[in-house]
Amino acid sequence: MKKQLLIVTASACLTLAGCATTGGNVDLKQVGKVFGSAYDSVRSYSPEEEEEIGSRVMADLLGAAPLVRDPALQRYVNQVGHWIALQSDKPGLTWRFGVTNDPHVNSFAAPSGYILITKGLFDLLKTEAELATVLAHEITHVTKGHHVRAMKATARGGLVTGLAKVGAQASGKQGADLAANAFSGGTEIFTRGFDKQDEYDADVGGMVLAARAGYNPYALPSVLNTLSNINPKDDAVALLFQTHPKTNDRLDKIDASIGTKLEPYAGGVENTPSFARFSKAKK
Amino acid sequence: MMLKTLPIALMFTAAAALAEPGSVARNTELKDKPFLDAKTTAKLAAGSPVDIINRQGAWIQLKTREGQTGWAKLLNIRSSNTSQGVSILGAVTKVASVAKTGSSGNTVTTGVKGLSEEQIRNAKANPEEVERMYEYSVSETDARKYASQNKLVAQKIADIAVK
Repeated sequence: MKKQLLIVTASACLTLAGCATTGGNVDLKQVGKVFGSAYDSVRSYSPEEEEEIGSRVMADLLGAAPLVRDPALQRYVNQVGHWIALQSDKPGLTWRFGVTNDPHVNSFAAPSGYILITKGLFDLLKTEAELATVLAHEITHVTKGHHVRAMKATARGGLVTGLAKVGAQASGKQGADLAANAFSGGTEIFTRGFDKQDEYDADVGGMVLAARAGYNPYALPSVLNTLSNINPKDDAVALLFQTHPKTNDRLDKIDASIGTKLEPYAGGVENTPSFARFSKAKK
Repeated sequence: MMLKTLPIALMFTAAAALAEPGSVARNTELKDKPFLDAKTTAKLAAGSPVDIINRQGAWIQLKTREGQTGWAKLLNIRSSNTSQGVSILGAVTKVASVAKTGSSGNTVTTGVKGLSEEQIRNAKANPEEVERMYEYSVSETDARKYASQNKLVAQKIADIAVK
C-alpha cells in the first residue's frame, strides 16, 4: 500500500516544476495549484496509479454501502462479469465485481477493473442477459478509460485535493486526516457522472460486448425500460438519473447506432439456472 | 432432448412474463411471430398505447388496445410511465437546513444507508471491503468454466460506432 502511494507522489511530482519532496516537505497548496494547471497534459495513468485510484474510490463507495454478505452471489456475479470482461480489449485486468448492500438502483466502475452493482438494481433484473448488459456497460467505462476523461474535467476540483492528500500521506506529513476522509476527487465522478457521450458509448459498446460473450444484447433496452418505469422522483434512482442521460435518449442512441445490427445475436443466452437461484424479480 | 429442455424454457418464459403499459415509439409492423419474414398482421402507429406481454431476443410481444396480439421490434416499443411510476424507496425529500453533516443546505434525507449522492460524499473509506472484493473475484479459468457450463459461446463481432 505504502509503495503504491509513493508511486502516486512520484508521478504527481513529475508534473510539478520544482516539487521539493526532500524531507517530506510538500506545500499542499502549491501541489494543488500547480498540479491543477499541469493536469491537462497528463494523458493517462500507469497501471499502478489506476489501481491506487480504483481501490481508493471503491473504498469510499464500499464505505457508503458494504458488499452483500453472500459469497455465493458474489462469486456468481464475478463469474458472469469476468467472462464478459475476457471478451473486452482488456481481458488481463484484475477484474473484481461486487454486489453492494444498497437499495438504491445503480452500478459503478472504477479504473483497474472494479465494478459494483447495487442490490437494488440486481433485484430489478429479470434475466442473466440483463445482468450481463449492465456489467458490460460498466466494463466498457473501464476499458475505454472514461474515468481519465472525467477526472480531467474535475481536475480543478476534487481530484487535485485527493491526489495532494495522497502525496501528503506518502511523505509522512499532514496525512492524519486522510484515512477518515473520502477520496473526494475520485468519488466526485460518481456524483457528477461521466460525459453524456461516454454513457452512450458504454451503452453501445456494452451491448456489443455482451453479444460477444454470447448473451442477447437486446437485454439492455429491457433494463432501460424497467428503469424508465420507476418514479423519477424516487430516491432509489435520484443519483442514477442525475448522472445519466434521459432513458429515452439512451434508447434513441441505441436504436440509431445498433438498430438491427446485432439481431443475429439476439438468440444468445437469455437466462441460466444460476440467475434464477439469486434473482428476486418476480415478473 | 426436447423434453429435457422444455421445463427450463417454460420456467424462464414465465419468469419473463410481463403485463406493463407501453407505447409505439415509431411506426412499425405487428408480426405474428418474432421474425423479420413473419406475416405482418397490423401496422402500429407511433404513439399508440399497447400492453407489453413478453420479450424475446430483439422482439417484444404485445397486445394492442384493439385486442390484437403479436410481435414488434423491441426498439420500436417503449415502456410508458404510469402516472407516477413504480415506487422503490419513496420520493426524495429536500430539507432546507440539515445539521447532521453540515456540508450543504442541499442535503437529501432518506434514512436509508447506501449510495445516494450525499452518502457517497460523506463516506468513510472502508479498505477492508475492497480486500473482500478481491477475495470474491474468480480466476479466468473459473470464468471460462462457468461460460461453458451455461452454453455461453464467444462471438466475433466488430465494434459499432455511436451515431
